[in-house]
Formats: sequence, structure tokens, C-alpha cells
Amino acid sequence: MNLYIDEKTCIRCGACVEHCPGDVLYLDEEGFPFERYPEDCWYCGVCQAECPVECIQLLFPYLIR
Amino acid sequence: MARVETVVADFLILGGGAAGCMAAISSAEADSSLEVVLVEKAEISRSGAAGRGMDALNNVVIPGIGTVEEYLEALQVVADGTLEPTISRVIGERSFGLLQKLEQWGCQFPRDSRGQYIVGSFHPKGRFLVEMRGDLKKLLARRVEAARTKVYNRHVALAILKEGNHAAGAVALDLKQGVLRAFLAPAVLMATGGAARIGLPSTGYLHGTFDCPWCNGEAWKMGFEAGAELTGFEYTATSSMTKDFNGPGLSTFIRHGAWLVNGLGERFMERYEPLGLERAPAGIRAQAMLEELRCGRGPIGFSCTHLPEETISLIEEGLFSTERPTMRDYFMRKGLDLRRDPVEVVMSEVYLCGGHGLAGFVADSFGETSLKGLYAAGDCLANPYGFLVGAMVMGEVAAQRVASLKEKRPQSPNLGETLDLLQESLARHRKGALGVSVREFEYKFRRLVNEYVAPPKSQLKLSRFLRETEGMLADQEDLPARDPHQLMKVMEAKAGLFSARMAALASLFRTESRFGLYHHRVDFPHKDDPNWKTRVILSAGPRGPLVRKERP
Repeated sequence: MNLYIDEKTCIRCGACVEHCPGDVLYLDEEGFPFERYPEDCWYCGVCQAECPVECIQLLFPYLIR
Repeated sequence: MARVETVVADFLILGGGAAGCMAAISSAEADSSLEVVLVEKAEISRSGAAGRGMDALNNVVIPGIGTVEEYLEALQVVADGTLEPTISRVIGERSFGLLQKLEQWGCQFPRDSRGQYIVGSFHPKGRFLVEMRGDLKKLLARRVEAARTKVYNRHVALAILKEGNHAAGAVALDLKQGVLRAFLAPAVLMATGGAARIGLPSTGYLHGTFDCPWCNGEAWKMGFEAGAELTGFEYTATSSMTKDFNGPGLSTFIRHGAWLVNGLGERFMERYEPLGLERAPAGIRAQAMLEELRCGRGPIGFSCTHLPEETISLIEEGLFSTERPTMRDYFMRKGLDLRRDPVEVVMSEVYLCGGHGLAGFVADSFGETSLKGLYAAGDCLANPYGFLVGAMVMGEVAAQRVASLKEKRPQSPNLGETLDLLQESLARHRKGALGVSVREFEYKFRRLVNEYVAPPKSQLKLSRFLRETEGMLADQEDLPARDPHQLMKVMEAKAGLFSARMAALASLFRTESRFGLYHHRVDFPHKDDPNWKTRVILSAGPRGPLVRKERP
């Protein structure tokens, strides 16, 4: 997983999903975003930039930490 | 024939990056009655290589600071004598007008204390680089919306439609509905980027590339199959990339005077290019970096420790706010401080790109390819080192041309047979008889690219690559894809393999060495100007690709 999305802060607006350039993120049944295709992430930070409540943190995968 | 929804328009744009968005905006400016459709794989306010931001326009000819002739001279050095200047001239001539337009739209170009643009040097000659701030892509997307362009986000273009020897539209896959959709138009602009995922990066992550990983040569494969010619595929570029990270963003170091240093702290470019130093043509710089690493003088990196605080702040501010904000997290995680530490870099995987390289469609001054009605702009067009300015200018030029011609909409395109072929192909992927995942397939050909196509090159290695991947061309038709996202990945892998094979063919054909590291042939180690100061052109023949010199 490349992201930490804070469940308490997230307002389920779907902005991160809508804008993700890699089609990495999807909404689950409760409208909470998750990484369906984490291996396609470029860590570009679009999800972070689009989040209106700043609840997304980039974790970076292990090999590049 | 399968029935699909068909959308008819006057102008179809494939790809909503900077080039495609600018084309949509410009076509409405030129003729508001024109019906324009834009098909985008992601979502236009954040898609393409400039989706997250860009902290400079690299090539603006500002009156009083540079001239178009000087700009072309600089590009001729970068292209090592092979520049065909038609498109670059258009870009140079229109570059300042573009900057003024963007500034009017709200894009920020910071000024110095005398109220002048902050202009830097990036090319081996001249000063054409202008610092930029702001959210360019969002700004363009809002303009596209205002232009009333019909945007189809999350649609992957799969094939170009034709009517006789004229482009007539395209078929795309709707990623969310999982269905095909046809778009008919007498003019089609391809603007879907270069090919980022052909070599393997050192981290091993398939998407941990230098260039935007969601563009993988799809336009090249579609356009070539439809009859458009390609050039520059032997220019297999590799750039410096932050170690353990991905993406571009390091040009800021070069233009602000950082030094490339080796593990001994030596400014090693003094040894290889005493005049140009860090601003040497990219292939020469890459050769120097590789040589330092090969001789055990690594690690190498960009050092800013000699720069004044205001310059370091400018670098950080641009990098962290606009170009690559996630770099801030990366620097923090690694404990990096530019005032103290060099930023270690590695050589990126090889990639192909028309806007920061030489690979792409051959086109005339309007961006029209060798297939009538089929245009190209941005990183899929061969617009040598035209960067972001080149993308937007050529999007604008193509749109204005299309608006002025206003051709009749297609009457009888080859839609039926194209759909039949695509449906059959998609059905095979859903079945997935190969039983090998697309990731494994992609890893395999990209590993082979590292071994056989990446420089240093030789006839033995390049032919081996073509032989080894011959069977993969058949295999790829049976790659499994259980959902539309995976179908997209299959299409990207196929386009990547196509692009890599074109690179091998062109590299095999150019029997000399040129472009520094990028086309270093160990079996033809010298530059041969009398025979090879020309472009290599690839075209589709009845029995496979044909390769020729542009000028004998």
C-alpha cells in the first residue's frame, strides 16, 4: 500500500478517486477510498493534493523507503 | 458486427494532457461552431506528464533575450546535427505568445526585483527557460470546460478509424462501463504521450519510472498501424533520476547552477564537457554519469552546497510546491538538506519521448502525420526537446488548422471491420489462454530491453532482442484481463513492446554512434556525419515495418 487514508477525517467525497491519473483508487461500499491497483501508483501526489480535508499521507513502498 | 454507441464530431482529440487540452481550447477559439470531442484515459484536470505540475517552461524565445535562430542552433546541438527544423521553428516562433496567453489566463511567471521574468539556461546554448508557478493543468481543464468540449474521461483509445487513406475517428474502451465506444470525425489529433515503461527502473517497480508511467506508446502503435510514420526511435533516452524515487524534476538543479559530483566530491563534468558542463546535451551528460559509475567513482549526485541561500530556496520552493510536491516527503524521509547534502541520482530506465527526446511521429508544420487528417502533438510527436511549450503550441497549431479546413464528416469509415477485430481481441483477453499475468509479461520484455536495447548497443544484442520478443508478439494476444483496468494494462504492455521493437529496429539500422550514450554502438563506435546526419524513419510495410533514412 502506498497511502494512509485516515478513516476518521475522510469525508467520503471521492475526489481522490475521481482525479487519480493511474485509475489506482476506487471507493468501497461505504464510499471510503482504497487502492485497488496499488502497483500502478507513481506517488505523484494528486490524491493528496485533491483531498479537501488533507487526510491522505504517502507511505512509499518498502523498496524506495 | 457488434453494435456500439457512436459519437460524431468535427474534431476528435485523443489524450487530454497539456497538448490535447490546448487543442480543445484553441479549436473553440478558432471556430466556436466546431464540435470537439476529447477522449482521455484518466481525468483531464490531473492527467498527462504535467498533471501534478511543472515549475518552468523550458523553451520560450523571449524577444530581447533570445532569437528563434539561436533556439534552433541550440536544438541542433542537442539533436547532434539531425534536427529537421520545421516543427521546432513553429514552436520557437509561437513560444512567447503562448507564455503571454498563459499569463493572461492566470498562470504565474514570477518576476525578479526589476520586474523581469526569471530566465535561466537549460539548453547547451542560449537562455530560454522561464520559471513558472501555479496549477497549470487545472487551469487548462477549466478552459476546456468553458470551451464546451465534450470530454470522455476514463476512456482508453484502442484503434484509429479510416476512410480510404484519411483518418476518420477512433474506437475507445470505456473503463467504467467496460464497453467500446466509437468516435467519428474527419480530423483526429493524437496526444497520448511517449513511452515510459519500456525499460526497467533500478527499484524494480514497473511504474517507478522517470516519465509519466501511464503513457506507453499507445498513439505510436495505433497511428503506425493506420499508416503514420515514426522517427527518432534509436534515441533511447535515460535521465538522471533521484535514487529510490521516480519521476523527473531534476532539471531545476541544472538550470540553477548545481554541480554533478561523484563520490570523491569532484565536479566530474569538467572531465567530459569542460565548456557545457552540466548543460551538455543529455546523451553526453548520461555518458559521463555512466562512466563515473562504471569506474567505481559513485555514488553520483547533484550538489547545491556552493549556491547562495536564495537560489536553494528557489529550487526547493519550485520543486516542493509545483513540480514534485511528494519530493518534500521523500527528502524528509531521507533526512536530505540541499544546504548540506548532495541529492544522489541514478540512471533512469530507457524511455522514448518526442518532447524531451527525438522519438515520435513525423509531421508537417501543422502536426499532420503522413496519414491525412491524423495529427499529433505533445510527447507522441517528434518535436525535439519541445517540452511543455512544444506540446501546447502544437496542440494549438493543429486545432487552428483543423478549424480552417473544416472537412466533411466521414461517410463510410472502416468501423465495422475495426469493431469486429477489437471485439475478437477483447474476447481473447477475457479468456486469457496464455495464463501469464500482464505484469509478468511486461517485466519480461522490459528486462530484455535493459539487457539488449539499452546502450551500449550492438548488432548482436539488438537482433537478439528482436528474435526473443518475436514470440511475445503472438503471446500478447492471449494475455489475460479480467476487468477493464487490466485490459488497459494489456494495451499499454502491447504498445510498450511495439515501441521497444521500433527502438531496436531503428538502432540496428543506424550503423554509427550518435547522441552520446543514447545511441552508442560498440560495433560502430564513431560518428559518421557524411552518411548519418539525418533522421531514421519507420513506416508500415506490407510484410512488417520498413526502415529508411530521411535523406540518402
